[in-house]
Amino acid sequence: MTALVIGALIAAVAVVLVSLPFLLGSDDDLGVPTAEEERRLALIEERDRALAALKELEFDHRTGKIDDADYRALVGPLRRAAAEALQALDAGAAKE
Amino acid sequence: MADLGRAALVVSLGLALYAACAGTAAALGRSRRLADSARNALIASFGSTAVAAVVLALALVRHDFSFAYVAAHTSRDLSTVYALSAFWGGQEGSLLLWLLVLTGYGALVVLLNRRLLRDLIVWVVPIVGAISAFFAFVLVAVASPFRTQVPALDGAGLTPSLQNPYMVAHPPMLYLGYVGLTIPFAFAAAALLSGKTDERWIVATRRWTLSAWMFLGFGQILGAHWAYVEVGWGGYYAWDPVENAALMPWLAATAFLHSVMIQERKGMLRVWNMVLVALAFELSVFGDFLTRSGVINSIHSFAQSSIGSWFLGFVVLTALFSLVLILWRLPLLRARTKLESPLSREATFLYNNLLLVALCLTVLWGVLFPILSDLFLNQPRTIGRPYYDFFLRIFGLPLLLLMGIGPLIAWRRASARGLLKTLRWPIFAALAAGAALVAAGAGSSRPGLIAYSFSAFVLATIVVELVRGTRATGSLLQLVARNRRRYGGYIVHAAVVLLAIGIAGSSAYGTTREQKLLPGQSMTVAGHTVTYRSLERERTGLADETRAVLDLSGDVHGTIRSGVNHYFAGDSSREVGIHTDWLRAEDTYVIFDQQDGRAVFFKVLVKPLVNLIWLAGFVFLAGSLVALWPDAREQRRLVTRLALARG
Amino acid sequence: MALAVAGVLAVFLIYTALGGNQTPLLQPSNLAAHSGTVSLTGKVVGPVAGNAKSDAGLRFSLHNIRGASPLVPVVYRGSVPDLFEVGRDVNLTGHLEGGAFVANQMTTKCPSKYTAAPNDAA
Repeated sequence: MTALVIGALIAAVAVVLVSLPFLLGSDDDLGVPTAEEERRLALIEERDRALAALKELEFDHRTGKIDDADYRALVGPLRRAAAEALQALDAGAAKE
Repeated sequence: MADLGRAALVVSLGLALYAACAGTAAALGRSRRLADSARNALIASFGSTAVAAVVLALALVRHDFSFAYVAAHTSRDLSTVYALSAFWGGQEGSLLLWLLVLTGYGALVVLLNRRLLRDLIVWVVPIVGAISAFFAFVLVAVASPFRTQVPALDGAGLTPSLQNPYMVAHPPMLYLGYVGLTIPFAFAAAALLSGKTDERWIVATRRWTLSAWMFLGFGQILGAHWAYVEVGWGGYYAWDPVENAALMPWLAATAFLHSVMIQERKGMLRVWNMVLVALAFELSVFGDFLTRSGVINSIHSFAQSSIGSWFLGFVVLTALFSLVLILWRLPLLRARTKLESPLSREATFLYNNLLLVALCLTVLWGVLFPILSDLFLNQPRTIGRPYYDFFLRIFGLPLLLLMGIGPLIAWRRASARGLLKTLRWPIFAALAAGAALVAAGAGSSRPGLIAYSFSAFVLATIVVELVRGTRATGSLLQLVARNRRRYGGYIVHAAVVLLAIGIAGSSAYGTTREQKLLPGQSMTVAGHTVTYRSLERERTGLADETRAVLDLSGDVHGTIRSGVNHYFAGDSSREVGIHTDWLRAEDTYVIFDQQDGRAVFFKVLVKPLVNLIWLAGFVFLAGSLVALWPDAREQRRLVTRLALARG
Repeated sequence: MALAVAGVLAVFLIYTALGGNQTPLLQPSNLAAHSGTVSLTGKVVGPVAGNAKSDAGLRFSLHNIRGASPLVPVVYRGSVPDLFEVGRDVNLTGHLEGGAFVANQMTTKCPSKYTAAPNDAA
């Protein structure tokens, strides 16, 4: 007898949970980023990636893993990349 | 009650199918209501699977022998703990465990990612749903744990050698690992399906992959220890197909964990990462297939069953699915940058990946060889241990070396001069260790010597990294806390080094002797003298236990008891005696081979440094946990990023 | 990347094709005419006599696990695994010598249960 009751309960709960979003009638917008937001997100990620790479280089230099000569050689391109990413982000924001 | 279990599984199947179908419709039609409904179905499927699991668990604990499964795997005299562990002792129960863990992971993933990553989750739901549906289908239609019978008076019982704590821990841990690899796979497929093939899916699944990998790795060490102390042949890994079934996905996952670091930083290796994550998933299901189908002769296999064909079909289907997806999205997966120099950290990661995958394929080839040779040569053949040992050395030793070089080499382009300068101390440490070891007699095994020297090298690099880092930040704790991923990784590397030393020591430098001893007689093995004193007999509730009492003298001192248990249920099993010298991490391992009147045939093994392997297990766990530890800052950054993009 | 993997695969194929590491997996029904070391799998048939530690060895017969087959006499010298008994499935490593299969390694498998139990006698 208990088996039947519990079984019916599970089925009922399942049906309720599955139909809940339709019953609540919230909006149907999936909320995924639009193309424009995607572009902005990509730029932000690019900026973060460039800044993280710079930070890692600084850390490696500070801990002595990379000596001064190598540091000087590597820091230039990284700083340029970071600057470009920031510029692109600002340009994108300015367009709004 | 069995009806409830069956019904619960049918509900799980229905919900999983709904999640798969409605989820796909939601993703294609971009309907939030449908997506939420599918997501709820996935969560609910965990609920109904849990109910089925509870039904089985209760039946096991209550010794309800109207359940065919309970009657087949337990008996009235079985303690509660082992009665529960019989849950995963057979085909049907372990399948239910798989489904439980899978739906559990699925529910957790969607609940924790409710707001972030909507565009990925909308595809993750149907994929996890479809995979769950397969397992639910097998449980409902092919191998049901809820088959009933006329209640037997008593059950067949659990094999006595399975009644130990390992039976409680090892299978669930492995399953948490195996099944956990489904999540990164689902996210990868979601990335391909949604076209969002950038690094977001990798960042999202990093912790899931890492924890699955951690469970799988630790689970294997548990298994090795179980084999060592219980099965008792003196070894811990036999390259048995079912052991290999866990090793292969773990190796693929290790490669993946490394190569994603390259993709995150450089946008390279995107196709490779997709292939790797699919490979890890396929290998985990394939491993499941190997274990269940009985298609390969293994001491672990379940009985021969039709379930094998279903699993094979599933493996083939999912492999095709992954292949089609990757080929379809190939244009989107083009790398943004190229490899700049063969001497750079990117390159070392690449070499590391090649070696890991090579090792994985080595094992796969060895596992498949009997089947392939039967198909093509009409004569099944096995490949022996020497094959595995050979390739383990060929690929493993360079991997060990790379573990030391990788963390210290610069990104993008390293100068040979700069690299040698950073590696000064580690190279010196390796040479010094090598020389000292040769003087101590370790030259007897060249691979062993190389393994030791490389290990010294890697340990030195880790120490150098920690020292340098602490000097720069001021506190070791702060250093680790602020760079959890990196230093957690270093701790894991240290664990691998310990593993390498342990394996090298116990295999390359181990000694074995067999001798027949009368009471009072002794034998000497590698500086240890083992003297047979007397024979003890004890009767427990389960068995007649015979133990030979031996004295250990010489380099180490102690008493060892080794013997046989004769179970009343009919079987007998050897119980090996192990004496551990913690200072030298060395074991003296005594096997009671056979009694011959008053004399006993003993097999004594001396295994140097074997306990480093078990220590490595714990260090591995610790390192993984450090790397896994949630980072509040990182989480905040992800949320702010999204908000910023939204403007 | 793909080329490197293909190269590695080629290495295995060559190694296993040329290397002498392969051991044929046989049953009593197809054992005859195989010389050299092979792996023989079958069901233990009594009577079981002798002592695996003596020179004469442990003597028993082997039958195909499934299907008809001749009985192969076995002489085993070495460690006898825990689960060895008449009716069990065993795997032996050895060679044919004078009409009997002389083996020095034996593993057993529990008939129908999931088990991790057998002793690797090597």
